[in-house]
Amino acid sequence: MDGLRLTFHLAGINNQNFLMRDDQTGTYWQQISGLAISGPLKGRQLTLVHSDELTFATWKAEEPEGTVLRDVARYAPQYEKKDWDVRMKRAPVVIQFPEAGMKARELLLGIQAFGASRAFLYDRVIQEKLVKDHVGAEPVLLVVGGDGESVRGFRDRIPGVDGAPDFYRMTANTAGTLLMDAATGSEWSFQGCAVSGKAKGICLEPVPMLKDYWFDWRNYNPKTTIWGKR
Amino acid sequence: MTVSGRIRWIPVLLGCLGVSLILVIYPIYVIRPFRAQGARELAVALMISRFRPGLTVISALAAVWAAIRYRGRWWRRTLAAAGAVLVCALAALARVNVYELMFHPDDHPAFAAASEAKLDKDDKLIVVNVRGSARAYPIRTMGYHHVINDVVGGTALAATY
Repeated sequence: MDGLRLTFHLAGINNQNFLMRDDQTGTYWQQISGLAISGPLKGRQLTLVHSDELTFATWKAEEPEGTVLRDVARYAPQYEKKDWDVRMKRAPVVIQFPEAGMKARELLLGIQAFGASRAFLYDRVIQEKLVKDHVGAEPVLLVVGGDGESVRGFRDRIPGVDGAPDFYRMTANTAGTLLMDAATGSEWSFQGCAVSGKAKGICLEPVPMLKDYWFDWRNYNPKTTIWGKR
Repeated sequence: MTVSGRIRWIPVLLGCLGVSLILVIYPIYVIRPFRAQGARELAVALMISRFRPGLTVISALAAVWAAIRYRGRWWRRTLAAAGAVLVCALAALARVNVYELMFHPDDHPAFAAASEAKLDKDDKLIVVNVRGSARAYPIRTMGYHHVINDVVGGTALAATY
């Protein structure tokens, strides 16, 4: 921030979203938003680094030269178990937003971009495997990976190509491809890059997506709309 | 020593104790898991947290001075000294990050090559790629440490979960 490297520590909780504090200025920051809420840098905003939530198998296949955070041996027995997300669904909440019939811990993929917020129900996205929708006025694409669990979001536009791409999921595909678009007839990988066809070498613009519970997402996105609610 | 002289230091000591107790306890009371935080009380609690290390030291110094200056029977002086010790203990406690006692930080994160990582294929990761450097943070690990300060592709970042 302004040339100063900040080092963060866990420093509290605010309605079940954690707070962090930087050593350099003593400012408190809200984790979900990256906004400074108390201290000398109050009102400042951290820059989001794009990230995805993927399974290890999918990520390793994409990034064989990548590196993975190691466990700290003495704390490893306290790390979350495999079924943590199932157990967390039963944990109590301290704030509720029961509108639209949403359960507090309903899992969703939230996109806050293009001047709007939209929540995509996770189970429905997994079921559909390819979701074409809008956030605000911007067309977006949510793609489920070959592992059936990893999800990425993109702008539903092919850079340099006019008109809607009209993506569809391939039922029989070569290794490393998942989608095809009707506009250029190109095959696309889960990373959103065309691997063959007229658009070969072009990549879709990724859209930041947050996997969150309804109560937390709604608390910070009061005007959110919802996709997938039956 | 006059009665009025003895009374002067006791209120100071009690005042220091009261202030230090509020400075330490109020943020812990407000900012605790499974309790809703109101915007105003959170703002007050965070402001207290920012200034309490210094304020509790001032309170401790004042309490020690009051205990030293107090002149009374031996058992009253002992009580005064105990009160000053308690205020000093609160000054030390004001510097303790209780949240990191619950979730210890990983202050020196270490990384393994993807080929060496001992993870199940369906373990979920938060992954980034910055200027061609790919890094992954297992969610089961991040769910404990919550914050990892890191440098990826030359960019300082905080991975959080």
